[in-house]
Amino acid sequence: MSLLQEEREIILNNEFVDNFDFAEVEDFVRNASKDLFISHTFKTKKKMLVQPRGGFPTYKKQYALNEFFVEANVDVLPLTIDSNTRLNDYATAKKMLRLSEENDIDMLNGYPLVNHGYRTTRKMITHFNKPVSLRHGTPDARLLIETAIASGIFEIEGGPITYLLPYSKNFPLDKAFLYWKYVERVCANYSKLNEPINRESFGPLTATLVPPAITIVIQLLEMMLSLEEGVKSFSVSFSQTGSMNQDIVMGAVIKKLSRHYAKQINCEDATINLVYHQWMGAFPTNKDYAEQLISMSTIIASMVGADKIITKTREEASGIPTKEANAKTVANTQYTLGILNGLPNIVDKEEEEILTLEVHAIMEAVLNDSADTLWRKVFNSIKNGIIDVPFSPHIINHNEMITIRDAKKNIRIIKRGNVPIPDRCFEYEKAQCDLTKDTTSIVNDIIHDIGIMQ
Amino acid sequence: MKVVTGVVGNDIHVVANRLIELSLNSRGFEVFNLGVNTYLEEFFDAVVETGAEVLLISSLNGEAEGWAREVKLLKSKYKNLDNLVMMIGGNLVVGSASAETIVPKYKKYGFDLVFHQVDLNTGLDTLEEFLKERNK
Repeated sequence: MSLLQEEREIILNNEFVDNFDFAEVEDFVRNASKDLFISHTFKTKKKMLVQPRGGFPTYKKQYALNEFFVEANVDVLPLTIDSNTRLNDYATAKKMLRLSEENDIDMLNGYPLVNHGYRTTRKMITHFNKPVSLRHGTPDARLLIETAIASGIFEIEGGPITYLLPYSKNFPLDKAFLYWKYVERVCANYSKLNEPINRESFGPLTATLVPPAITIVIQLLEMMLSLEEGVKSFSVSFSQTGSMNQDIVMGAVIKKLSRHYAKQINCEDATINLVYHQWMGAFPTNKDYAEQLISMSTIIASMVGADKIITKTREEASGIPTKEANAKTVANTQYTLGILNGLPNIVDKEEEEILTLEVHAIMEAVLNDSADTLWRKVFNSIKNGIIDVPFSPHIINHNEMITIRDAKKNIRIIKRGNVPIPDRCFEYEKAQCDLTKDTTSIVNDIIHDIGIMQ
Repeated sequence: MKVVTGVVGNDIHVVANRLIELSLNSRGFEVFNLGVNTYLEEFFDAVVETGAEVLLISSLNGEAEGWAREVKLLKSKYKNLDNLVMMIGGNLVVGSASAETIVPKYKKYGFDLVFHQVDLNTGLDTLEEFLKERNK
């Protein structure tokens, strides 16, 4: 038995999991409908795919949510996992699921997939026969991913960096890399049986003043970590920055560089798609304004040339959106996409050049680290601050980099910390901002910049 | 002057925490920031270790009260913390309540300065005045 298979047996031999029938699961994946694979949908559907967020504890409510989404003409269904499962606390998830079922109230903020099991969940997934995207935030997602694929979920979001630095204070980063390595290998292995399993990184990170260079570097590194394990379909992503121009520049650079770095590790045969998240920062409490913001995000996604858009709802500022609000935003986004035709092609050569230089410089520093494997190089780079995510709560993150918005609302780096931003680029970034102010006024600007859409 | 700061309890909201650190630095304080997700014991330990004169606790998710109730009891177990300036700010209740009811409650828990949904600079200005007055 291979080491991977031995590890799988141990992970799946968990008291909260039904007995896994590997032969049956393989057979299911081999014969599964192509419509369940987002990698296949990307190839065949000549439009930007629309995907909402959403997850409910009980099977019944999740099923009803999916019915609403299908009615609203969704392209990709979401399955958001509850927070106990994310922390591998299946006992609490089980208890809360039972309470939710018995009392008809939601005691979990998502679908406890491991507790429902793959035999049950598969009935729902195959019934709707649309690609499903697994959204979670789990550092150790090994059991979750085995259960997801066995259920017919062939897109897995997350990664060792993007599901850790924004979501955790002290989960060990080296463990996260190893657990995600397992996930990549399982996805790669199943990809050989039918259409490829798609992996998607989570570009929004902390959604607070993250400069494009940092987002792109992390996207490229998670992509490379995935491709080197044999994954053949990957989505890089980012969220609306607050500057239309910066979004368009970012889209152009991330597309170009993801292909460049895939080629560098001899993985140019993999398909790379681009996903755009509608505004992830603080939303206006005025629901009409929220709708305007969502429409604007959809227009920018078109100009960026995204392959998929992930939607927000008009209820975002006031709590967890209802299924009706969620379905409505899908329908509205589809409508906006339908009437957007013949958009102009905008290119900003100077901004593209600056951003490209920044990304290459950081990537070079990471790849030149003396460690023997890519994940160790990345690990060291986070530890020594070559990669620094503004507003990350994780203790390993340096938090030395400081960013503010310039007059045109572009996110600019005014303090680089240990991040190797080339001098020329750093001078350019600072030149766009008014730095004559004292620190207190700059802090006030940052507070204002965070709430920019409110 | 040394300040220990951080977000109390299982709260992961880090943005204001970073801004507090920046603001305190720019006002000339020496800051020991414990970050988010910090328990009361960790705060007091850090005060003892650093010899800080100010402890500035913040909270956004509204769950601070559950933790603040135990402040006096815990503080009494440490020696030499009688002169420590205790400050708390952020969003201090789940749901909504007025400052008139919240501030006395938190003062009873042992805080000298209490700021519920007050902007950062006002809070820090008041802290500086408080310190000036006390050290007269």
